[in-house]
Amino acid sequence: MANSRVLLKRRKAVRNIRKITRTMELIATTRFKKALDRATEAEAYTRKIAELAVDLSCSAGEVSHPLLEKRPTIRKNLLLVLTANRGLCGGYNSNVLREAARRIAELRTANTEFDLEMSGKRGATWCRFQGLALSAFYDKFEDKPQFAQVAELATKYITLYVGGQIDRLDVAYMKFHNPARQEAVVETLLPLSTLVTSTRHGCDPVAADGTTAVDYEYAPSAADILSELVPMAFQVRLFKCFLDAAVSEQIARRIAMKAATENAAELIKSITREYNRARQAHITKELAEIIAGAEALK
Amino acid sequence: MNPTTSTSSLKCVVVTPEKAVLDVKAEFIVLPLYDGEFGVLPGHAPLVGRLGPGELRVKQGEKTLAYFVDGGFAQVRANVVTVLTPRAIEAKDVAPIPSQQMLADALAMPADTPRQRELRDAAIASARARIRISEKYT
Repeated sequence: MANSRVLLKRRKAVRNIRKITRTMELIATTRFKKALDRATEAEAYTRKIAELAVDLSCSAGEVSHPLLEKRPTIRKNLLLVLTANRGLCGGYNSNVLREAARRIAELRTANTEFDLEMSGKRGATWCRFQGLALSAFYDKFEDKPQFAQVAELATKYITLYVGGQIDRLDVAYMKFHNPARQEAVVETLLPLSTLVTSTRHGCDPVAADGTTAVDYEYAPSAADILSELVPMAFQVRLFKCFLDAAVSEQIARRIAMKAATENAAELIKSITREYNRARQAHITKELAEIIAGAEALK
Repeated sequence: MNPTTSTSSLKCVVVTPEKAVLDVKAEFIVLPLYDGEFGVLPGHAPLVGRLGPGELRVKQGEKTLAYFVDGGFAQVRANVVTVLTPRAIEAKDVAPIPSQQMLADALAMPADTPRQRELRDAAIASARARIRISEKYT
């Protein structure tokens, strides 16, 4: 027979936990909304850059830029992994790290030298556990990555890449498709695969929707602008990775906390049931004792 | 070109990777192109230009909005001026003291390789433009 006082105490503890997880769920929800807003705002910029790139490449023809060229042999690879600073977000960190570990294994079998850079304390802990050396660690990118910070990082990578210290840059992060679907991926950011993500209207003078393509004036020449646009496009791509990671983290946290709240509610229910049963049994027992006592007195 | 558009007013859109800063109507816009200021009136021919660090002015009647933009690109098309820039700050918010500090930092940057020189020059130009604007508006 369970002690009813112990049950009461346990129920109180679980109630407190539920309160906490519920609050964390709400916090994650608001943060997710904010992060999503930021991601949508950034979308406008990305789209405009892509549009410009289409128009420019129509005028400038094929572009050759060091960031776009694929190198025949990869001697040195840089892997940047974006994880969260904190846990309590379900499988978020472990999913990203699993993808990263797969890429690391690939690089090891291919005998390619690689550097590992990590954003987020969780990932750093994992590396310590795995015995992997980190060449750089960042924990300043919380749920609101600043473009200036990311741009600084991007400039560093461009310098490394152009200088030949790295031949490829991979980023492992949680890609955000929609609020119901995120996916851990490893993407190659350098060399930039394509500048033009979607050639909606191609380079025909008359586009599919009937509007004529605009004949722009260029200051300076189209090729010059394009060569400026390429690093910018890379910065934005990297920034988008950070934004996606931030959004996905908040979603994962919200889902994890929602599940925790529901579990707590269920636990409270079952503890209550057990407690009531124990109370009932106690009353019955006491009654039986009184009756037995009364019988004995007769 | 559509002749009717030349009489109407301009639209000015400023976007940074973090947010859409501005989306307003205007009569006259001055863009800080890489080689000097560039005025745009309604009915301007389509143009794509590279921006340098400098001052963006948007004239609306009596009022003029002024922004510091840190490079980027501008597109003029069908009376819409789109400015894509990594950073846009309202001119009155450009503080002189951090700008001076930025110039000092920029001057202290290493310049051993062509790439480093390039970065240093860009940082110096950006800081000088900030100082110019902060002096003008404070």
